[in-house]
Amino acid sequence: MRAFLTSLLLTLSIITSAQTLISGKVTDQKGISIPGANVYIKGTYDGTSSDAEGNFALNTDNTGKQILVIQSIGYKSVENNINCAGQPLTSNVSLSESINLLTAVTITAGAMEASDEKKAVVLKPIDIVTTSGAMGDITAAFLTLPGTSTVGNDGRLFVRGGDASETSIFIDGLQVGNAFGSTASNVPTRTRFSPNLFKGSFFSTGGYSAEFGQALSSALALNTLDMPLRSQGDLSIMSVGGGYTQTLVGKKSALTASANYFNLAPYQGLVKQKFDWEKAPSGWDTEISVKQKWGKAGFIKGYLHTEGGGMTIWQKVAGQDGRGQRFELNNRYSYGNFSFRQAGKNNWFFNGGVAFSHNRDAFNLDYTPIRQINQVVHSKIVAVKDFTPQFALKNGLEWYVKSYSEALLNDHKKRSMTDHQLNHFIEATYYFSNRLIAVAGLRSGYSTLARQYWLDPRFSIAYKMNQGQFSIAAGKFNQLPDEKLRVLQKNLQNTEAIHYILNYFLANNNRTFRAESFYKVYNNLVTYTGTTLDPKNLAETGSGYARGFDFFYRDKKTFKATDFWVTYSFVDSKRKFATYEIKVQPSFAPKHNGSVVIKHFVSALKSQLGTSWSWNSGYTFNNPNLPGEMQGKTKMYSDLSVSWSYLPRPNVILHAACSNVLGRANVFGYKYASQPDETGTFASSSVGQGAKRFVFIGLFITLSKDKNANQLNNL
Amino acid sequence: MKKLFTIIALFLLTVSVTIAQDSPYQKAMKKEIAKVIETDSIPELQQSANAFARIAEMNAKEWQPLYYQALAYTFQGLNRSLTLDKKDEALAKAEELIKKADAISPNNSEIVALQGFIIMGKVNADPSSRGQSMSGQVMATYGKALGIDNKNPRALALMAQMEYGMAQFFGSGSEKACKLAKQSQEIFAGQNKETLKAAMLPTWGKSMAESLLKKCE
Repeated sequence: MRAFLTSLLLTLSIITSAQTLISGKVTDQKGISIPGANVYIKGTYDGTSSDAEGNFALNTDNTGKQILVIQSIGYKSVENNINCAGQPLTSNVSLSESINLLTAVTITAGAMEASDEKKAVVLKPIDIVTTSGAMGDITAAFLTLPGTSTVGNDGRLFVRGGDASETSIFIDGLQVGNAFGSTASNVPTRTRFSPNLFKGSFFSTGGYSAEFGQALSSALALNTLDMPLRSQGDLSIMSVGGGYTQTLVGKKSALTASANYFNLAPYQGLVKQKFDWEKAPSGWDTEISVKQKWGKAGFIKGYLHTEGGGMTIWQKVAGQDGRGQRFELNNRYSYGNFSFRQAGKNNWFFNGGVAFSHNRDAFNLDYTPIRQINQVVHSKIVAVKDFTPQFALKNGLEWYVKSYSEALLNDHKKRSMTDHQLNHFIEATYYFSNRLIAVAGLRSGYSTLARQYWLDPRFSIAYKMNQGQFSIAAGKFNQLPDEKLRVLQKNLQNTEAIHYILNYFLANNNRTFRAESFYKVYNNLVTYTGTTLDPKNLAETGSGYARGFDFFYRDKKTFKATDFWVTYSFVDSKRKFATYEIKVQPSFAPKHNGSVVIKHFVSALKSQLGTSWSWNSGYTFNNPNLPGEMQGKTKMYSDLSVSWSYLPRPNVILHAACSNVLGRANVFGYKYASQPDETGTFASSSVGQGAKRFVFIGLFITLSKDKNANQLNNL
Repeated sequence: MKKLFTIIALFLLTVSVTIAQDSPYQKAMKKEIAKVIETDSIPELQQSANAFARIAEMNAKEWQPLYYQALAYTFQGLNRSLTLDKKDEALAKAEELIKKADAISPNNSEIVALQGFIIMGKVNADPSSRGQSMSGQVMATYGKALGIDNKNPRALALMAQMEYGMAQFFGSGSEKACKLAKQSQEIFAGQNKETLKAAMLPTWGKSMAESLLKKCE
């Protein structure tokens, strides 16, 4: 019995002595201790966490060769070989940081993102619909951001001294032809797409990725929603029309169908208009969108939008009596988009798709019928490979077919053009650390019509400090001239811009500050003689520049329940293009631009009150009565808009908005007679607003099982 | 002598039964589960998360270690002392883990409820800019959890909290929220906590339902 006990004790002591104590300290590469790191022996339950000073101590019964694993969020894991033989071991470990996309530096030069997930953003997607004065128009909300100019008689996006055609719009990476509704000259238009289709957007005012081409100044990339939250019906009853949208959501797929109609005639019957309408603008649109999950991470989306509309307006001709020129427009437009995204093995990611747009404008200019048809087909395939968490390479191939035709129906005259463009882009992203990132890209293209091959290098870099971050971007941008010019002279080559951008961005505690300066050089711009409607002697001898800086400050914190932002943009731009013989400041590039947007939520009223003020120092215009070109400048432009959204119940929204509440008579320029009168002067007439104010009232009701669902996205 | 044998036999049986009931996996789990739902301290929650990470690595086919690891990070993400970046980091980790748990055990009401709780944590971290756009997603996820199991007391309590917040925001009555909280409390009361604990199933959330009920009174 005694012998048994002795042997038992011996065995126990052997077991005890086989326990190995491992201790050490976990630090980062600068020697700063890391608390809460997970320290354990691989393949066993033996483990511990480092304490507040980074120290750890771990006992293990396992013997022999083992692997000690040290892990901590934000750092790369380390595995050390150890030999457990009962002797205490010391293992000090320094961990190197891993790239954390959530908090790492991002390139903010030129870029303004609207996203719910990312950090370095200036807008939330919801801002696009809740910004007063935007009236539910996507691009109108962007006009309150730095780098843009409001051109009230046009309505499109004008970026940093560039004209509206220099901005390209993409949906899920695929280009949208004729994204803005067709309209008469000096009658402002709006985007054709409802903001509630999109979950986020990326608006660049320059220096953008090699993924985007054929845009001299700006790219606006809109990303559609993935899966809608629930099945629901959305009914809208508005002062200018109405619509219904039905959403059906299944486990892996969703279907949305909508139909809308608008007609401004009843409204214009009530409120006095300055424009001489024979038939007020009216139109309809229908949309179908299908979404299907594909495997674990993939998505397939299909979207079809078709619409029709028209208007008839009389526009005064300077120096002539009577109603002037009659312009009748009938538009049909369709856009289809089929896209996919999927993750492959070994950190490969793929996306791509095909989009087509077809736009037909049938108009009568003083009863002369003219028909113009634009078509764009864009197909694209992109492959991204993350070689390491630091380094990713993006490769893409694109093929465009762009065609345009115009016909004088009475004379049986027709001219047309079709261009095929093949593009390739490659872009490398490298994180030196969580603080420093560099992106380099190269875009190449070939146009069959221009018979031209081109290369666009792009480069950007960003560095994050303890407070804020700096980024710079530079690049070359090519864009073929407008189809209406190319149809006249098919061998027109690319116009060209070079951007240099320096940006500072700081987002902290619900306050955002952004400052940016830029310099842009234009070359090979198209010049011609005659008029815009009838250009002659086309050449590509134009050039120009735009330089300036802008500021953006947003604050959700200082005032309770109030969110506001202030922007100021300075643009100094001169260019020789179109009919100009020398470099002049173009009409669409006012020097000083500013905006203030305020949103205030009043719980007691269950209401969001909003106001926005947009201002610029005036538009240049050409006065033939004076020597030189573009010597005239209008008075400053100013528009104060207010809006009120009332939510009596979670699923009902009543929205009222009014633009230009002060009733200011803004003038955007002057039109002059083509010939001088008897006194030798050219008669003029001002280009102004269609009405002093625009008032909008709408009721939005959401019908679903979930009574809290609403249509905030539709406002 | 016979009696002694019986005792020894019984003793051995008990020992073997105990051993059969509690594998090292179960032992480790039960110890950590008790800790994670008791504490609010960030270092302790991180220790729990680490412990569950170790258990998960050893038991790759079980959803519970991942679930509790995610829960430990979710509780961190709700801690007011952390900066927004730190909260988001913890919640992103929780989201990644619960996704893995969901892949192991799809259509699990507890996992889906925690998914909703994580999104709610994101809203809490920055309500002024995330509330409008993400609350719907939180509701829908809780709705999904209740669709799988309408007697999940945690999903009911969380949904009640969301409904209560909504009612306050819109100044409407909180009857619906209170009814859900009551339902949740009754289910909690009717449950045998020990059985659940033995099966390593979630038991947390009772205090949440109770504190909401107090507000209702």
